[in-house]
Amino acid sequence: MALLQIAEPGDKPAKPAHRLAVGIDLGTTNSLVAAPCAGKVEILPDADGGYLLPSIVHYGAEGEVTVGADARKSSLTDPGNTVVSVKRLLGRGVAELRDSPQYRHYEFAADRDDHSPAIVTRAGSKDPVEVSAEILKSLAKRAEHNLNGALEGAVITVPAYFNDAQRQQTKDAAKLAGLNVLRLLNEPTAAAVAYGLDSQDQGNIIVFDLGGGTFDVSLLSLQKGVFEVLSTGGDTHLGGDDFDQLLADWISEQAGLSITEVATQRAQLNQLATQLKHQLSELESVEVEFAGWQGELTRAEFADLCKPLVARTITTCRRVLRDGDLKVEDVDNIVMVGGSTRMPVVRDAVANFFGKPPLTNIDPDKVVAIGAGIQADVLIGNKPADSFLLLDVNPLSLGLETMGELVEKIIPRNTTIPVARAQEFTTFKDGQTAMSLHVVQGERELVSDCRSLARFELRGIPPMVAGAAKIRVTFQVDADGLLSAMAEELSTGVRSEIQVKPSYGLNSQQIEEMLQASQEHAREDMEIRALKEAQVEAAQLVDAIQAARAADGDLLTAEEGQQIDTAVAALAKAVQEADSKQLHEQTEALNRLSGEFAARRMDLHISKALRGESINKVESTPE
Amino acid sequence: MPQTYAIDVDALAAKYRELQGDAHPDRHSGADEAAKMRAVQLTSLINEGFATLKSPLKRAGYLLSLEGFDAEQVSQADLSMDLLMEQMQLRESLESLPKDESALDELADLKSDTEQKIAKRQQEFEVALTSNDLSDARRLFHEMQFLDKLLQEINSGEEQRLGY
Repeated sequence: MALLQIAEPGDKPAKPAHRLAVGIDLGTTNSLVAAPCAGKVEILPDADGGYLLPSIVHYGAEGEVTVGADARKSSLTDPGNTVVSVKRLLGRGVAELRDSPQYRHYEFAADRDDHSPAIVTRAGSKDPVEVSAEILKSLAKRAEHNLNGALEGAVITVPAYFNDAQRQQTKDAAKLAGLNVLRLLNEPTAAAVAYGLDSQDQGNIIVFDLGGGTFDVSLLSLQKGVFEVLSTGGDTHLGGDDFDQLLADWISEQAGLSITEVATQRAQLNQLATQLKHQLSELESVEVEFAGWQGELTRAEFADLCKPLVARTITTCRRVLRDGDLKVEDVDNIVMVGGSTRMPVVRDAVANFFGKPPLTNIDPDKVVAIGAGIQADVLIGNKPADSFLLLDVNPLSLGLETMGELVEKIIPRNTTIPVARAQEFTTFKDGQTAMSLHVVQGERELVSDCRSLARFELRGIPPMVAGAAKIRVTFQVDADGLLSAMAEELSTGVRSEIQVKPSYGLNSQQIEEMLQASQEHAREDMEIRALKEAQVEAAQLVDAIQAARAADGDLLTAEEGQQIDTAVAALAKAVQEADSKQLHEQTEALNRLSGEFAARRMDLHISKALRGESINKVESTPE
Repeated sequence: MPQTYAIDVDALAAKYRELQGDAHPDRHSGADEAAKMRAVQLTSLINEGFATLKSPLKRAGYLLSLEGFDAEQVSQADLSMDLLMEQMQLRESLESLPKDESALDELADLKSDTEQKIAKRQQEFEVALTSNDLSDARRLFHEMQFLDKLLQEINSGEEQRLGY
């Protein structure tokens, strides 16, 4: 083979010297992956040059899993087996979702004892971690294809407002997808990184991130290369989808659709609503047509429709400024993130509140992934370590349940992390020897209004009168915002600790099992790929030898020619039957047989070359 | 940093960033687990130290704790009757305000009044501490604690009325 194809330009791009790390924006509606290319962090495109991967996963009839634009097509034809906006399900319990009209088209698995909102598909029940892992795998594949190598690490962004369970599940999904997570990075922080490095600004920055399904506002201060998150606020259930929903409701009301009509045409309605919303960012008014009804919608009418949603975003801005102890005029820059900030009604409201126009020169869909890519490059060690540092805060207060179902806050929200805080508690009954500790997250006073994160017990407290024991409870939050809690009885030193895991979802055992299963799949995938490559190689060999036979067949004896023809036929058969073992054996056999032929051709062509013909020309004739 | 109540907050913040620049776990993402764990612990300590020194109230409590005084233990004996009476009156007036936006102006007045009272105590605390008058410093610290609590209540009252 090699000798027959001397002129083939076989130079592959050299393996890059730096370690490959990517930034991933795992979004509700779309996901992106970014990596440094030629000194600048860029979004990595798919085969068609598109950069947005719709965060949609479809489980097909043949057992195939599709992600992205192809899966989106299935959301119309096969909604029951297509999962959209899975990020909204992360870290949530099935009970709270069953009653929500937004998720009514999903059938949640009833047999899961982990309370995770696993969706019943034809491929079995799939929980949000598994579905998110499919999206991450697809992005990783895209990155490895673009970068020509294996990924060593990834920075994955999460909304600043994500609670502990949601962060943990994001990490689990990455693990399941085979990614090494360098850091979970808050999305608004990533956006500020993308802007901050380019313009070397100092001062206070508001990051206004209105994505498909989540809304975040962060107040950051930038000083000499150190980003400090002063405060954050937001709403895990406010985004572009809600604007679509408002528009869809408006259309169905105008068109006089019945409840069943709305239910059956939900996907079409939503698609039209999205389309109208996009058009209204460009046009002053649009024509609307649905199910025989025709009408018009102006930008002003749309703005009126959206008023309550926009007002919610501004209220959050007010609160974040207050938490960060700054005034409107202290804000130097406003960074806009998320596709929904393209809406003029949103931009106007933000400009109006802050008294200055927001920054929009980086594509609001790409800015988070670019920032994550920059951070990944630093964390993997490609950039000098002192280039910049991110100091984050925890978005929600962490506390313990005390008597009367009240919450005692141990780490208040907007505390810079990592952080460790301790507080002393005591027993309330004489002779009490054990204590049950309930870790909760949230701002409210009552346990029932906060989110339950974990429960653990401290046993072996020596019997004492009520109030005499001293139990020190320490909370430690790491740089990713994940919590571990420890309780210690001070006189005896007995202690108990817990790594806080989400109350819902997979335990680490399940994750290990799924990882193993996915590695088995990976082996299958690898075998399939190896077979495909062998087929291509064999077909090229067959073509090359047939061409050489036609050109220089007279160099062979009749018997030799016969042997080669038989071997070619056998190999061609192996290609057709996709028999991996046969392919390898026959390819080798043919290479052996044709070796002598190739050598004779070389001699012939070299002697021809000595007579003044170029190798290149000669070698190109058999092709 | 000098061990005084009046501090240069900008210098404190600069020192904090310098320390974080070396200690933060992101600076040790390639290190082994033990080193990463140490980085988390050290960073937690630096964060806690910065949070304590940055806040005028916490800083006062910390300086008193260096003098062997437990800031958590407030006994009635430390508090003057006048202070208690004043606090009760302020709280009553806070509670008697209307529960809607019409109270915002009065809340703002109450807030700036409280802030001024706190600022005055801070100056007096500095004097007391420098002249080593610990009993006076303690009294002032307790008064600041009360006023700070009041300020928090005013703030949450504002938030409620603004519909947060």
